[in-house]
Amino acid sequence: MTETTQWNYDEWLPSDTSVGSKVIGFIVENMQRIGWPENELYGIHVSLEEAIINAIKHGNQRDPEKRVHVVVKSTPQDFYLLVVDEGPGFDPDAVPDCTAPENLELGSGRGLLMMRHYMDEVIYNDSGNQLELRKNRTPE
Amino acid sequence: MSDFKCIELQNKDDVTIVKLRDDKVTDADRIATLGEELMTLSQPDGGRVVINMGNVRFLSSSAINKLIVLERRLSSGGGNLKISNLRPEVEEVFNITQLHSVFDIRSNEEDAVNAFGE
Repeated sequence: MTETTQWNYDEWLPSDTSVGSKVIGFIVENMQRIGWPENELYGIHVSLEEAIINAIKHGNQRDPEKRVHVVVKSTPQDFYLLVVDEGPGFDPDAVPDCTAPENLELGSGRGLLMMRHYMDEVIYNDSGNQLELRKNRTPE
Repeated sequence: MSDFKCIELQNKDDVTIVKLRDDKVTDADRIATLGEELMTLSQPDGGRVVINMGNVRFLSSSAINKLIVLERRLSSGGGNLKISNLRPEVEEVFNITQLHSVFDIRSNEEDAVNAFGE
């Protein structure tokens, strides 16, 4: 049987982490509803947390005048997330490698590493305030 | 000590055993509270602490950072932190981020407590 269910989401969120957390829960629920299994949802959930909450906290610095654009396009086979904040951006290549022995106790870079582990693609725009994530469902 | 929102404490000999209450440690405000509560465990002489993570199914990098801050604080005072009861999915997160190099991770609480005598 071919599953054709799609689920899309497109909203501008305030720079409020409690709103971000609710939206993440809503996205995960809908991914589950269209058939994503628990083991794959774990990595998607981790990546949503890192992408959306970081955009609110670090990108927009929780500025109530700024918003975060969140777009999800998903089918039972693939997941796409776009997160755009209104902050100055950053250079992901300048983030220290948190797995290097001298950086293990640093507080940065771990979220990026987790997204790169769980997602098939992690792409920032040149200014670093727009993030795209893609994941294809692992064949059973 | 009973006023903590995010942790439960128990003392066994001179070891403080901490259980995280939440199964999902991602909410930013809750993580900030967790960090404040964990900091109260740091004594001037360091202290011996076991964090039992058995309840935790999911945690973000911000929550991990709070554990790292506590580990650093305890170590600088000559104390020691051990982590126990990691669920497989959380252990994977620790492996991805190579945190087994930072933390002394034990399979269960008893092993963690006994490890202070090693």
